[in-house]
Amino acid sequence: MLDPSLDTFPKLALINAQRLPRNVAIREKNLGIWRPHTWSEYVEQARLIALGLAALGFARGDKTAVVGDNRPPLYWSMLATQALGGIPVPLYQDSIEKEMQYIVGHAEVRFAVVEDQEQVDKLLHVRAQCPMLEWIVYEDARGLRHYQDPCLLSLEELKERGRKFAQDNPGYFDQEVARGGAEDTAVIAYTSGTTGQPKGAMLSHRNLIATARRAIERERLTAAEEVVAYLPMAWIGDHMFSFGQSVVAGFTTNCPESAATVLADLKEIGPTYFFAPPRIWENILTSVMIRVDDTAWVKRQMVHFFLRLARRVERRRLAHRRPALLDRLLYPLGWLLVYGPLRDNLGMSRIRVAYTAGEAIGPELFEFYRSLGINVKQLYGMTESSALICIQQDGDVKLDTVGPPLPGVEVRISETGEVMYRGPGVFQGYYKNPEATRETLDHGWVHSGDAGFFDKDGHLKIIDRARDVGRLSGGTIFAPKYLENKLKFSPYVREAVCVGHERDFVSALINIDLASVGNWAERRGLAYTSYADLAQKPEVYELIRQEVVRVNRSLLDEETLRGAQIRRFLLLHKELDADDQEITRTRKVRRGFVAQKYAPLIEALYGAADHVNVEAQVTYEDGRTGTVRAAVRISEAETFAAAGISG
Amino acid sequence: MGLLYDVLVGPFRDMLGAPTFLAEVLIGGVAAGLMYSLVALGFVLIFKASGVFNFAQGAMVLFSALTLVGLMERGVPVPLALALTVGVMVALAFAIERVVLRPLVNQEHIILFMATIGLNFFLEGLGEMVWGANVKKLDIGIPDESFTMAGILINKLEMTAAATAAVLVGILAVFFQRTKIGRALRAVADDHEAALSLGIPLRTIWVVVWSVAGIVALAAGIMWGAKSGVQFSLSLIALKALPVLILGGFTSVPGAIVGGLIIGTGEKLGEVYWGPLVGGAIENWFAYVVALAFLLVRPQGLFGEKIIERV
Amino acid sequence: MKASASPPPPPLLEVDGIGVRFGAVRALDQVSLAIRRGEIIAIIGPNGAGKTTLLNVISGFYHPSEGRIRFEGRDRTRLAPYDVAALGIARTFQNVALFKGMSVLDNIMTGRLLKMKGSFLLDALYWGPAKAQELEHRLFVERIIDFLEIQAIRKTPAGRLPYGLQKRVELARALAAEPTLLLLDEPMAGMNVEEKEDMCRFILDVNGEFGTTIALIEHDMSVVMDISDHVAALDYGRKIADGTPDEVRRDQTVIDAYLGVSHG
Repeated sequence: MLDPSLDTFPKLALINAQRLPRNVAIREKNLGIWRPHTWSEYVEQARLIALGLAALGFARGDKTAVVGDNRPPLYWSMLATQALGGIPVPLYQDSIEKEMQYIVGHAEVRFAVVEDQEQVDKLLHVRAQCPMLEWIVYEDARGLRHYQDPCLLSLEELKERGRKFAQDNPGYFDQEVARGGAEDTAVIAYTSGTTGQPKGAMLSHRNLIATARRAIERERLTAAEEVVAYLPMAWIGDHMFSFGQSVVAGFTTNCPESAATVLADLKEIGPTYFFAPPRIWENILTSVMIRVDDTAWVKRQMVHFFLRLARRVERRRLAHRRPALLDRLLYPLGWLLVYGPLRDNLGMSRIRVAYTAGEAIGPELFEFYRSLGINVKQLYGMTESSALICIQQDGDVKLDTVGPPLPGVEVRISETGEVMYRGPGVFQGYYKNPEATRETLDHGWVHSGDAGFFDKDGHLKIIDRARDVGRLSGGTIFAPKYLENKLKFSPYVREAVCVGHERDFVSALINIDLASVGNWAERRGLAYTSYADLAQKPEVYELIRQEVVRVNRSLLDEETLRGAQIRRFLLLHKELDADDQEITRTRKVRRGFVAQKYAPLIEALYGAADHVNVEAQVTYEDGRTGTVRAAVRISEAETFAAAGISG
Repeated sequence: MGLLYDVLVGPFRDMLGAPTFLAEVLIGGVAAGLMYSLVALGFVLIFKASGVFNFAQGAMVLFSALTLVGLMERGVPVPLALALTVGVMVALAFAIERVVLRPLVNQEHIILFMATIGLNFFLEGLGEMVWGANVKKLDIGIPDESFTMAGILINKLEMTAAATAAVLVGILAVFFQRTKIGRALRAVADDHEAALSLGIPLRTIWVVVWSVAGIVALAAGIMWGAKSGVQFSLSLIALKALPVLILGGFTSVPGAIVGGLIIGTGEKLGEVYWGPLVGGAIENWFAYVVALAFLLVRPQGLFGEKIIERV
Repeated sequence: MKASASPPPPPLLEVDGIGVRFGAVRALDQVSLAIRRGEIIAIIGPNGAGKTTLLNVISGFYHPSEGRIRFEGRDRTRLAPYDVAALGIARTFQNVALFKGMSVLDNIMTGRLLKMKGSFLLDALYWGPAKAQELEHRLFVERIIDFLEIQAIRKTPAGRLPYGLQKRVELARALAAEPTLLLLDEPMAGMNVEEKEDMCRFILDVNGEFGTTIALIEHDMSVVMDISDHVAALDYGRKIADGTPDEVRRDQTVIDAYLGVSHG
């Protein structure tokens, strides 16, 4: 398996077709039925597509844009492109024309393989601006019958041309595959930066294969794994799990029927290896809990009882302590009555390895899955590192770290606190962007742009984006997002903005969660008339103060950050709203805008008063604007000094 | 105190004291319950498919049993007599569709209900006119005798009846859920107009439903007839089916079965263990009291369809 | 697109001088209409103009007191609804008439009943072939599910779906019958903009992919102008205009009819 001559994905796939010809390589649910394709079919399909592309005049170094939901033919097209010495450029299927146009133009894409009419329509418009794009191949012909554009070709026609081409050029495919080498670029993955145009990270076959191998060895993955490919193909994670590792290890990738059926399909497949960002973990949990709440009272009580028990046990386990005796005795019963059936219901009874990454996961959520015996671990990576840098090891999982670096990967923290890494997965550079490459790649070391540190067990801990990390006037490191995430893990906190850079202490502007605080208030018979009214109730301040104190206390364990506890906070009289430009449509706080807009409130937080009067412009649903006047209270929260540790 | 003891403790002590006897009572109750279920099933089928409460279901039981006995008395062998009776019930279904349902299509439910009352008297009269009014013994070759198993006395006839009922119920369930006609039946029951627009011939569906209800009635008629003779009172067991329907819900096949079992075992237990306290005859009113309680607490019945409202 | 110099082919459906009365009310009065094979025709008009009545007459739910209906050249004025369905005319209803207790899949399968061979009575007896047939029809239904992008709700009871999806399932059920003529009674009523766009796309796709002739009643004039090849306008039970969308839009009688009731 470690034959050094197998240095590209097409070579590895060809070996899979010999070694595991009958193993299922990829499965797709279509018309309600799972349709499997073996490795020999996988390679045969890729071969036909490659020959078809060759018939259209594909030359080494040409790029193929791949656009659509996770579909087998799109994965085959990536392999086909690589087989011809070309470079696949997967695009986000929900990109708008303008975004696609930039990437297609920048990457000088000549060929595109797309899923359906929706993508064809976009690319036809793109082609008007980017005449380099010569051919658009589509998989699903629906709605395209009357399209006359000569650049359009169905996948079936493409393969037919490939068959003809093969008759005239026997051995062409194998020759081209043999010409490929480890240093060839295997994929250009465009990353959507928060600012400026996307950058195309070039990853070589060596980068991706070495990274895939190391993770496979670390997690002991085999050809028997099942993954579900449901995250965008343009995202490096899917490229690594559903394509890279699948080809290297020879395991099965499963393509759901549609984006809306993922949860049901997950249940049918029962993956052994699974990745999801926190948002998805949360959705799955919610959908299950809704069903639990629909059941009879007795059953509901039983489920909740055992879930609480499991959580207690898991907390102890994470802290490397033994659970209480009674809990230990009852746990097997819970397994029989609740955990087992629940895992089945989630489609997670076969999971050996599962990851969460991308952003901080709430402890409740993380503990929930782990307490059911699902091996969820945290992972850290980015496009420039071939997706993987750190992974938590089995049996050594923590709530708030991303684990130690993978073997062969070096991670260090720069003087400014930024995480830097070096290793075989480090990318070749940004395509046609030497300036950005120079900024990011420094003698083999990559600037991650994240701030973090190692804890005493050698786990990396990410606290924030490096450029958002500030310092209090005393010099203590202050990571606003880290604090805000901790606050937001409380069900009562919807949004939070922490301030403290070049100030004496940290303070916070908090948005309460109307649904859960409202519910809490109703259960206490606390009457309120509006969001602003509820937010200013002394009882609510007390409720949130406890949450702030909880966060402060949790900071005690963090050597680097314990100096930055939240001393004063206020509850905003209105919800931060995308219509008011306070947050983005994806619910990210616009820090600068908020700081400016709420400057009087922030000044009051650093003053002596216990309240501040505000007048705020609000935009109503119908577009009119109005003014809200309110007195916003300011509250203090306890902070803690580290006991017994000087420093 | 004494009374409380007699009501709340005594009977249970008796039950535990003689478990074999309890088992016998329970088996008797289950057997009776399954037969109630059979009659209730006939109601459910017709109600589901056409929304008509078929008052004549009891008369159909009587009529089918009378026909069978009448044929057998005239020397027709049992299998042939059965087949002929089935034929008669199917013919009856065709006739009902042509004479009663078709002319009354799109009328108020109450009108159709009144029509089934008419049908009830017509069938009772017709049965007696053709086959005579005296009590007849129905002998289908299963002796009304008992055997002992694990110390429990079991009546062969009751066992056979229960088994037949169970099989029939199973067949009906498959018929409703799995076959195309079952799907058509459910469609008609759910929305007449939509079913029509899909080309489902309403008349055929009605004939099928009434035929099936007729055959179910025949099965019930045989079981009850073999036990207590074929006589006019057979048509009154329809009244027993009413509480079963209230308990199980008018539209639910499983409801009819479970409802029948609850009523059957409930009244037998009540009669044997609590009967002496009130001087017996609990069997006669138990079902109605249960039904009344259900009407107050859960009017849609155990399995009745909850009305799903779109918000 | 439909313009041609050659003599027009005979219409798929001809309604000839139809009249329908409810008591003293003339719901339809001397209405004639020709629906051409392969077209999308929109029937428009103010509330109470007789649009739904016309659809009900075509699908056999009402029988006209006068006039004739020819479908594929044959007179079929007085057929029952299920016989009309057997001819290849499927429809949806203004207020969604789904089988609410049945799953989406079962609902759509019901649409296949006419295509299933064998007598109703014998069906229950023949197990093997019936099962094979069921699978074959299931495959067809799955294509429709895929076509209308409702895979995620296959097993959901129809009654639990939001309104927009119910309308889509109803369309799926009608399509399952592989109709020659599809009648849609306000397919977009009560939908939001996005749902309307989806529905328009589906209607156009059905017409384009299967060549199904579609007659629809719709109030949203922008939708009507976008998707139809042919528009007929009714008012007080009479046809007041008939032509291309552009012609009808400019027709003064139509404008007056709409203005006359816009505040009523």
